[in-house]
Amino acid sequence: MKGYVHSFESLAAVDGDGLRYGVFLAGCPLRCVYCHNPDTWTVGAGQSFEASELVKKIARYRSYFGERGGVTFSGGEPLLQAEWLCEVAELLRNEGIGYVLDTSGGVPLTEAVRTLLAGAQGILLDLKFPDEESYRRYTGRGISETLAMLDYLESIGKETRIRIVVVPGINDSEDALERYLVHLRGKNCVSEVELLGFHTMGFHKYEALGIENRLSGTAALDPAKKDRLQAFVNAQLNK
Amino acid sequence: MSCWRGFKEGNWNREIDVRDFILRNYTPYEGDASFLRGTTKRTDSVKARVDELLIEENKKGGVLDIDTERVSSILTYQPGYIKKGEDIILGLQTDEPLKRAVNPFAGYRNAVQACRAYGYEIGENIKNEFRYRTTHNTGVFRAYTDTMKKARHAGVLTGLPDAYARGRIIGDYRRIALYGMNYLIREREADKRRIGEREMSNETIQLLEDCERQLEFMRQLVTMAAEYGCDISRPADNAYEAVQWLYFGYLGAVKEQNGAANSIGRISSFLDIYIERDLADESLDEIGAQELIDDLVLKMRLVRHLRTPEYNDLFAGDPVWVTCSLAGMAEDGRTMVTKTCYRFLQTLYNLGPSAEPNITVLWSTRLPEPFKAFCAKVSIDTDSIQYENDDVMRKDFGDDYAIACCVSAMKVGKQMQFFGARCNLAKVLLMALNGGRDELYGEQIAPEGKSFEAGKPLVYEEVLEAFKVYAAWMARLYVNTMNVIHFMHDRYAYERLMMSLHDVEPERLMAFGISGFSVLADSLSAIKYAKVTPIKDENGLIVDFVTEGEFPKYGNDDDRVDEIAQWIAEYFYEELCKTPAYRGAKHTLSILTITSNVVYGKKTGATPDGRKKGEPFAPGANPMHGRDAEGALASLNSVAKVCYDCCQDGISNTFSITPAALGRDDADRVKKLVSVLDGYFAQNAHHLNVNVLNRQKLIDAMNDPTLYPSLTIRVSGYAVNFNKLTKDKQLEVIARTFHEKV
Repeated sequence: MKGYVHSFESLAAVDGDGLRYGVFLAGCPLRCVYCHNPDTWTVGAGQSFEASELVKKIARYRSYFGERGGVTFSGGEPLLQAEWLCEVAELLRNEGIGYVLDTSGGVPLTEAVRTLLAGAQGILLDLKFPDEESYRRYTGRGISETLAMLDYLESIGKETRIRIVVVPGINDSEDALERYLVHLRGKNCVSEVELLGFHTMGFHKYEALGIENRLSGTAALDPAKKDRLQAFVNAQLNK
Repeated sequence: MSCWRGFKEGNWNREIDVRDFILRNYTPYEGDASFLRGTTKRTDSVKARVDELLIEENKKGGVLDIDTERVSSILTYQPGYIKKGEDIILGLQTDEPLKRAVNPFAGYRNAVQACRAYGYEIGENIKNEFRYRTTHNTGVFRAYTDTMKKARHAGVLTGLPDAYARGRIIGDYRRIALYGMNYLIREREADKRRIGEREMSNETIQLLEDCERQLEFMRQLVTMAAEYGCDISRPADNAYEAVQWLYFGYLGAVKEQNGAANSIGRISSFLDIYIERDLADESLDEIGAQELIDDLVLKMRLVRHLRTPEYNDLFAGDPVWVTCSLAGMAEDGRTMVTKTCYRFLQTLYNLGPSAEPNITVLWSTRLPEPFKAFCAKVSIDTDSIQYENDDVMRKDFGDDYAIACCVSAMKVGKQMQFFGARCNLAKVLLMALNGGRDELYGEQIAPEGKSFEAGKPLVYEEVLEAFKVYAAWMARLYVNTMNVIHFMHDRYAYERLMMSLHDVEPERLMAFGISGFSVLADSLSAIKYAKVTPIKDENGLIVDFVTEGEFPKYGNDDDRVDEIAQWIAEYFYEELCKTPAYRGAKHTLSILTITSNVVYGKKTGATPDGRKKGEPFAPGANPMHGRDAEGALASLNSVAKVCYDCCQDGISNTFSITPAALGRDDADRVKKLVSVLDGYFAQNAHHLNVNVLNRQKLIDAMNDPTLYPSLTIRVSGYAVNFNKLTKDKQLEVIARTFHEKV
């Protein structure tokens, strides 16, 4: 079986603990309005790899990983290629290299997906929007799969960092964020809720790809505002 | 002897053996930085005076004053002070701080031009003296062949120390503190008598003359110290004297010599022994210990040489390379980190970030974790330090080597180096394609060969064969050119004091260099994996290329091109070794360009990798900017593959990353930088300059230098004050790859 990789970032220091080798898989079921990587959407595009080829490439970075580092599978939506990723994960285990999954949760909880989630060092779970209506409006799919995945992560006690993209005019208020927090209060698996400020650095990709950018008139989130909202979220969750 | 009270005895009591003294007496420190102290009022007061002087120097175009009446030497000037009565460690190069001396021994014309560049004329005394004196430069040009001159003019052999002093020699200044000058003088006299028993060959006669020249300057050094009220004929008796005695040795050396790099060696753990002894009997406390190191470092920051504008093009930012090597591991497995290694790093907080001294951490994956973390923090906060792989160098150089200049290791007092600048190998490729002609001027430099055809794609095997022929020819010319240079340097600008602080017959290294490394690797890769078609001008010279298709680029951890890069270094080194070097020197090779990658690029035509005529090269062994598609670690992995065994003079890599890409907060960034360093060096990589900053900060500083007056950045084996760079160098630094958050 072959998997499809959009690109690599050998120093993905902020996507998880320790030094991380970032593998961005090709293909995504969502079409988030604020996506800064629309070039990763297409399923089956990009470079193809056998699991063993990919692991060989990842292992070149072993000396940087230490105890907490490893590889981070991102995308796109990495769990769209769960079967293939299970092969990769198996080989990584033999190499003693851990992995983190950076997912939207927007996939069915298949056996392969469960196996991958259970075997990860940690999960970065993007909570794109807080309710069915807004989720569907801004991503093109429903929220139920993401919430089901969060419940599963809670049930197996897997350390999960929640990430929320804050977009001016859409969810940049305490009231708006409160609607996310209802899903998160009392979840022991959630180690942290991290707000990511919307930025415009992906705009040129929309132009290059000829895709409509629905947020072309929106400015980047003011970092000071993000800090205030982050403080609010932390206080609400006693983090 | 009372000066040695409390020290454990060993071989160092029987002969000059500083390493033995250190290993028997030093105290490894595995703790953290919490013991460190800030400045005293006195330090602040002297530092304030230095800051005023630096501002004045900057206002005057970079040179505060020049003494044009006297030729610099050990006893030329009356004692000078920053603030008389407040200085702890005494001694300046001339009688006033930042006043530069004229030192024409390496090249008279250069000295004249350097003075003129700042509005001065050389005085009558010096003019008369040098009317009848042969300088190094004159000697070299008497012997140079036409071919050497042509290669030099075309810029294929370039930056050669034939008109300026070679530098890169590290005196073992610790010997003065440990033994006192009387003992060292007696030992050298005994050496001379012993050598005098041999047959009088050229080598023996040269050695005898060397000894006598050294002895003369050793005696002068004692007089110089006496003028400051110090008796260095005896060993140092306490920590203050150890610092002072050692510094007098260094000071004498930089009064006598204006070589390109004047490094101070590996002194921290040596000095730590004296500091620990004084702390133990309470004649010193931590505040006093830090004050001593602060004051020494302040002196190091004031060392200046007079340079021409052309020299500054090669070595931008007025560097002296007072390279100060810290840490490392002992061969017996103990760490050589001491509290004084921390104290040197602490000067970057107490006195602010600075390019000098060039603090070099000898990194081992086995260094104590708290020390690693402190180094990373200092890098993130100041961008002022560099790292070199002790685990790799210790195998060849033991545990008492130091770095000269940027990346050149040598055993302190046991080895010296003949510095050899570099050969522009990207240009050698173009020469091979043009049948031995220079691609810019059309001059026939190398023997005439087949010129590759225009309009017909290059065939890799044919190009490689031609390149090998011309690189081999160039290697021989390069060694022979260096032999001429160093013969004349020994004869007319010999480093008497520095060499007196070496063993009488040290091992000699001849350090060759490569520039255009990544351009050549990518060019060969383009010819091999893409389609490269030459374009000729009306004179039949290949002046450009059409490169079609994708090809692997150095800096992406892709073996297809990284193996070409490895091969380049190995092949050229082997070819260099085929021609014997002057005075039995061992050949070594570096991949280091200082800041001359800009100048070398200007002198090189378009290359098959798509680089346009005149565009800068990447510095050192760095991948070309903008060609790494897989981020920072992939780029590091490519460089790590270049083998140190054939590049024992160092493989320089400069790494710039934005704070946001390195980690989420300060604590996270420290941990991650330590992981980067451990991971890189675990692969036997040699050197890393680390900058953690935003490109925008540099752009702001370029537009308004007053915003960040002490903004220091690592460039290529050393650090510079960003404001001292010329605009085109600032632009080149800004254009370099900054690893950013995606």
